[in-house]
Amino acid sequence: MKNNQKMKKLVMIIIVLLALQSCTAVKEYEKVALSDPDMELNARSVERFKTNFQAYREAAAGANGGKTGGGCGCN
Amino acid sequence: MKFFILSMALLIVSFGYSQEAGSTYKKKVLEQTEVDFLGSYYSQDGDNAAVTGGIGTEELTDFAPTIVVSVPMNADDVLSVEAGISAYTSASSSNINPFDGDKPADPFQASSGASSSDVWVGATASYSHSSDDRNRIWSAKASFAAEYDYVSFGFGGSYTMLFNEKNTEVSVNANVFLDTWDLLYPIEFREDDDYDFSYIPNYNPVFTGFDSGQRNSYAAGFTVSQILSKKMQGLISLDLVRQDGLLSTPFQRVYFSDFEDIKVENFVLGDDVEQLPDTRTKIALGANLNYYINEYLTVRTYYRYYTDDWGIDSHTAKIELPIKLFGKFTLYPSYRYYTQTQADYFAPYNEHLSTDTYYTSDYDLSAFDASQYGIGFRYTDIFTKSHLWRFGLKSIDVEYSKYDRDTSFSANLIAFSFKFVLD
Repeated sequence: MKNNQKMKKLVMIIIVLLALQSCTAVKEYEKVALSDPDMELNARSVERFKTNFQAYREAAAGANGGKTGGGCGCN
Repeated sequence: MKFFILSMALLIVSFGYSQEAGSTYKKKVLEQTEVDFLGSYYSQDGDNAAVTGGIGTEELTDFAPTIVVSVPMNADDVLSVEAGISAYTSASSSNINPFDGDKPADPFQASSGASSSDVWVGATASYSHSSDDRNRIWSAKASFAAEYDYVSFGFGGSYTMLFNEKNTEVSVNANVFLDTWDLLYPIEFREDDDYDFSYIPNYNPVFTGFDSGQRNSYAAGFTVSQILSKKMQGLISLDLVRQDGLLSTPFQRVYFSDFEDIKVENFVLGDDVEQLPDTRTKIALGANLNYYINEYLTVRTYYRYYTDDWGIDSHTAKIELPIKLFGKFTLYPSYRYYTQTQADYFAPYNEHLSTDTYYTSDYDLSAFDASQYGIGFRYTDIFTKSHLWRFGLKSIDVEYSKYDRDTSFSANLIAFSFKFVLD
């Protein structure tokens, strides 16, 4: 029951965030700032080691592009 | 599980759909072969080693060189292969057998035996294909990893759709890992004539051993990224993971409060190894939001909520402020805060009861808060003037992180990356 409530909350959050999407698309020629390497939504390659040790030393994993469990002998 | 099956079905269906006819000119997805030499040096210490039941040294050092090669196979396809090793020395692992060293056995002293060091090796190959309009991307990957006491095979795939003039990106991925542990137990639980403790009066451990060392992990992920303005974009990702099989670590001791402590030298013999449920379901929901302030400063933020059916809830928040200096250099100061509740099955050293069904004294499953401070540095040369043989240097990254829990545990990490492109 507790997990069901959590799942409902998560789904609600996703729906609200999707609903907040921008209605007007930014054109290709307007993406100068967005094309900056530091605006990338992925982690830099050098950050993989940080994400890896966190997967070993913390119970939480996933939703960060790193390991989610399995394949590493970690939690 | 339903989500996992649905994701796999979508991947298979989309594979065919992505082979659509294209326009006349296509820019290559990856222009040149790229080679990334990466590495890290990690050290940690603390007083709550899981191998010795929640007390004892956690001292560990690890050196991990890795190489990643990405090759454009044609205008649409990229093959990436990465290989790495991780060589570590671990004081707590050495105490799987604390009696094979030069000094008296002690949970706060490293033993010098065979378990004091190990090498992890891993390799991953992935292949991605982009549609002609670059609005559909599928990828597949396979991985292998091995250590002295476990072997892992993994495979998976992802499918990405871009639309709304590439302002919106939706991606699904699915991965399976099939791990097999070699059941390596603490020395007092093995049938070893050199270390026979059965003669000790009142030493009656409840240890029976595990039936199988198999662990399977099934992960499904869903990601939506969205451009929110000319200077802001965000991402939401959801990961669902189901694990089954041996989820206990076979060499992590547990001590019961209702059992007499039997000491040999300075070391208390274990009462059992940790016992954890053979299934675990994890849910992680993360969000990134990046904002471009000006040509010198960007704000990168991250938040994650995590929950699982072992009773752990966690929150992670991170902020990073990339600062550009002199055109080619960027500084990356960052701060990350992490907090988690403890697993239902956790108790500290000597506080479990032998009547419990599940028990662990692994402090990675305890309640704690952690802060991580980081500073990174990047040098970028878009013209790749510096060369090593036929490879031009594209970027150098160096990063230092300091990690502190509100317990005795702390860690330091130095990582580097040298990225080259083939001329």
